[in-house]
Amino acid sequence: MAAKRALTPKEANLFKDLLTLYETRQLKKGLKTADQILKKFPEHGETLCMKGLILTHMGQRDEGIDLVKKGMRLDLTSHIVWHVFGLIQKGEKNYEEALKSYTQALRFDKDNINILRDAAQLQTQLRLYDSLVETRYTLLKLRPTLRQHWVALAVAYYLNGNLDQAKNVMEKYESILKNIPDYDVEHSETLLFHVRVLEALEEHSQALSLLDTNAKERAIVDKTAIMEYRARLLSASSSTTGEAQEGEGEASAAWHTLIDHNSENIDYYYGYLASLGLHPTLSPSYDSTKALETLQTLSTALPRASFPRRLALTLAPSPSSEDTNGTFHTLAKPYILTALQKGIPSLFVDLKSLYTDQGKMEAIQGIVEDVLRSFDSEDTSNAEIDRDPSMYIWTLYFLAQHYSYLASHPTLPQPSSPPYIPSSSSSSTPPNPSPYPTQSHSLHLISLAISHTPTLPDLHLLQSKILKRAGDPYGAATAVNRARELDGQDRFLNGKTGNALMRAGLVKEASGAPGEVGSGSGGGGGQQGKGGVLGVFTKKDAASPASDLEDMQSLSYLLEEADAQRRTAPSNLGLALKRYLAVQKIFTEIQDDQYDFHGYCLRKFTINVYLNLLTWEDSLLLHPAYLKSAISASQIFVYLHDGTLFPSFGILGGAGKDRGGSGSKGGKGGKGGKGGAGEMTDAEKKAKKKAKKAAAAQKEKAKEREKEEGKKAPQAANEDKGLEPPAPKDDDPDGTKLLVCEDPLERAAKLLAPVVKLLLSKKDKTSKGKNASQKRMKGYGEIEFWVTVYDVAVRRKKFLQAIQALTQAHTLDPEHPEVHLRLIHASKTVSSFSSSSPPSETITSTFSSQLSNLLPSTISPETHNSQYLQKHSKNARAILASAKALEMLGSSTKEEVETVVFGMLGSGAGAEGVHVDVETALEGLGYLYSLASDEKAEEFRVKCDERFVSSTVFKSEQEQGKLRDAVREEVTRLPGEEKEKGDGEVSG
Amino acid sequence: MHNIRLARPEDLMGMQAANLENLPENYLMKFWMYHATTWPQLSFVAEDEKGGIVGYVLAKIDEGDSKEVHGHVNSISVLRSHRRLGLAKKLMLLSQEAMATIYKAQYVSLHVRKSNKAAIALYRDTLGFEVADIEKKYYGDGEDALKMRLNLENMPESQS
Repeated sequence: MAAKRALTPKEANLFKDLLTLYETRQLKKGLKTADQILKKFPEHGETLCMKGLILTHMGQRDEGIDLVKKGMRLDLTSHIVWHVFGLIQKGEKNYEEALKSYTQALRFDKDNINILRDAAQLQTQLRLYDSLVETRYTLLKLRPTLRQHWVALAVAYYLNGNLDQAKNVMEKYESILKNIPDYDVEHSETLLFHVRVLEALEEHSQALSLLDTNAKERAIVDKTAIMEYRARLLSASSSTTGEAQEGEGEASAAWHTLIDHNSENIDYYYGYLASLGLHPTLSPSYDSTKALETLQTLSTALPRASFPRRLALTLAPSPSSEDTNGTFHTLAKPYILTALQKGIPSLFVDLKSLYTDQGKMEAIQGIVEDVLRSFDSEDTSNAEIDRDPSMYIWTLYFLAQHYSYLASHPTLPQPSSPPYIPSSSSSSTPPNPSPYPTQSHSLHLISLAISHTPTLPDLHLLQSKILKRAGDPYGAATAVNRARELDGQDRFLNGKTGNALMRAGLVKEASGAPGEVGSGSGGGGGQQGKGGVLGVFTKKDAASPASDLEDMQSLSYLLEEADAQRRTAPSNLGLALKRYLAVQKIFTEIQDDQYDFHGYCLRKFTINVYLNLLTWEDSLLLHPAYLKSAISASQIFVYLHDGTLFPSFGILGGAGKDRGGSGSKGGKGGKGGKGGAGEMTDAEKKAKKKAKKAAAAQKEKAKEREKEEGKKAPQAANEDKGLEPPAPKDDDPDGTKLLVCEDPLERAAKLLAPVVKLLLSKKDKTSKGKNASQKRMKGYGEIEFWVTVYDVAVRRKKFLQAIQALTQAHTLDPEHPEVHLRLIHASKTVSSFSSSSPPSETITSTFSSQLSNLLPSTISPETHNSQYLQKHSKNARAILASAKALEMLGSSTKEEVETVVFGMLGSGAGAEGVHVDVETALEGLGYLYSLASDEKAEEFRVKCDERFVSSTVFKSEQEQGKLRDAVREEVTRLPGEEKEKGDGEVSG
Repeated sequence: MHNIRLARPEDLMGMQAANLENLPENYLMKFWMYHATTWPQLSFVAEDEKGGIVGYVLAKIDEGDSKEVHGHVNSISVLRSHRRLGLAKKLMLLSQEAMATIYKAQYVSLHVRKSNKAAIALYRDTLGFEVADIEKKYYGDGEDALKMRLNLENMPESQS
């Protein structure tokens, strides 16, 4: 073996040169040198590998990798060939295989520092902390003089949970450290890491003394960090020693210092209150009067701090409805009046979390209505209110938000007095008096504001939001476009316009992306050209605004477009899938991004932020955007598998009969539950066939393209293209191939699996991780996630996984409509076990017994369903779920199912006052269409159109087409054609 | 209720989203990660009650060729829905103070669009920046940038 590796002295020197040339990326020279060696030793494996590596860097990937493989075969015991192979695999992001190669390399050269370092990075990326500790230990033994090696070992211990060892290493390190430059940020960060280790060990007094000593010596230079650690450690040690918390102790003083430093930091205030025994949830002897006094004192000392005033509103006791001089009123009134005077747009958003308390909500409403009344009645007696016209606008703005929010959250406490509607002589007619706030009230108020000041974009923006809630996506798009036209420099308004256009089915007008609702009249063009509205702020050299937004990792754009594509037409499902998967890809990129930081942060000694980075990456996939895209894509995959739609979230959400005009009107149906595929309509079969053909044609084209490109292969470019393979050509830009993929369920399972793992491990570790509190997207939370896992698993016949998922969903909310539907489905599944090819005995019995924990087997699913319907007779979503369940059970007539659906609108006996919103009603309509109950659906549509007075989504297909055309015209007209701006009439 | 605090890695996606929503100059996640891990004390966020990022400042230290250590604000923005609360000013002050105390930065610089009157007013009138230079066609769309500067050497220790 070794004989084959041996070179003559001249070539041996050349080989050394070759390594240096590669290290310094002098690729061309390196290539020449390699060829020189190979002339004499054509079978020299290491040289072949190096040449292959260099070629790969130069973009000749295939040839390069062939050479590497050839070289390896010639010299399998060389650490160099394994190292090279590891580098190539790492370039391909194949971390597991790369680590195997590095491990091989280390077998033949166990003390190679470079290989050990790379291996440590791979081990961190793969979270193999046991082996990471070993590698870091070896590195330290080999080079104990390197500071970095000490800290890296301590970090490895910390990550592996060996806190005591981490502490020992840090102590040893600090004891032998010499010549630390004065005022060194790196050293400061290292010491803070040491404090962090002690804090994690709960050695509070040790941590404090380390902190204090080094703060005094100015070895720790980050003053805010010092103060934060101090405050936390003092609080922790006083609570563990059980010291009395009376008066301002050291901990309180520390928190107070922090508040002085940044008076808008919530943690500081809560820390301070806790140190005084006044934390509203954590302190056993909490006293709200004392807490409010404390906040009052802080407010006086920090007149410009807004947080203590706002927190006081949360902590103040709930007022009784008649009491207008109580604590809450006294505190809320000046807070609200000041904000209205200043015209702070976020005032409502700031206050709405108080609305779970009816007394507070009504007090706020009373205060703001009083302001409006004083404008309305020309009553000048109320001297508290400076009757500034701008205040009038912001008061209307607030109340419009207030009523709209209450109207769209019927389960929140509602005001006992009817909404106040100004009697002003406005062009817009006030809505019918109604005891409850409605979107019409809200629309009336905002139109008053707009006719007063038509030039304020924020008003049109709010009008758009209310119209959207009211079920008028076309009016919403027109309104926000007016806001955009008033401030063309503002990307925020531009983006909102893009979103609204997509919701109105005008994707191309928004972003230039394909996929449009079929429409009789001509398409876009005009002002924005191929670009669409969003193109004003995207790169001009991008293929389209959509592609720039994807390149720049805009998750919100991708999700918005995906939803729009999903809504517009079944033929656009491929595009929708593409966008959801693009979101997934961005998350993979972000996971890959961390790789370089495993080395970088240790070199820079920015250890603390690095540890936080790893924690964040660990639960990255619990991000709401990932969840939403995984759930949505999986639903589509399930749909593709079934050929029909599982009675689920109403995938095509839209008003009904296939707005796209292509494909069939079926396909949204609830027939998947009947046990699998095979219920495709003829039209669907045709569509599927067509898609298959198109996919095949595209494949051919792609092949040709490849051939052509192969001809003009890059000729020895010297520039370094790195080891990452270039992004493969997208040979399926419209997702046509995805729609006919052979393994939709496997693909869905792959998207869901990492989240399943994360959520289950989170539950094991109980309450660890800050991401847990992340804001979820409505309808795409944990319950919907588990339900989707069930849907996929049960079709893959992974019954244990399915019942586990259903159990998780059930734990979160046993009464959730989607959970109910799956319970019925599961009980049907159990009864089908005996007949159709049964899984193993143990699996069926586990499935049944676990299901009986959720759904008592003594009650028939039919009975359970009707009990469920009775129990939730006011909840439209529950009614719809129970209708779908009825259909699934198969023992009722279509008419019976339809009757239940109509119960959503309160027409059924005793179902008065059903809470139904536009979205749920739309789903009900879509479901009726899927039952092929066209007449009934039409009846339902007309009823909805009457019921949701400001809506347009229940208009006929034709009417909606006209509305859409009008919006299209509005956004694509040339600047010169602009009609007079901002006449504030509500069009909805 | 708004909370202003040091930016953490788990905020980076929210910062990136706010940046995309507000400004035409956008950056890939790795760029945000690089800043957060190189100068972990300089970037701050404002969040709403639900933890959504409504404003941020992304900053760095330039040791450059001038031998003068100075801070630089890469990007700052506050969502339109959260204007007039003084968030931008508070974010800037916290970042400036960290630049001065931790890195001994002598001054802080930034670029601003010539046409962005509101931002220029904030930097000049509220924070005390001065125009140091005009950089022609600095922005992708051809607009000039004002290069503004604020001396940090006599900064008070803490402010709120």
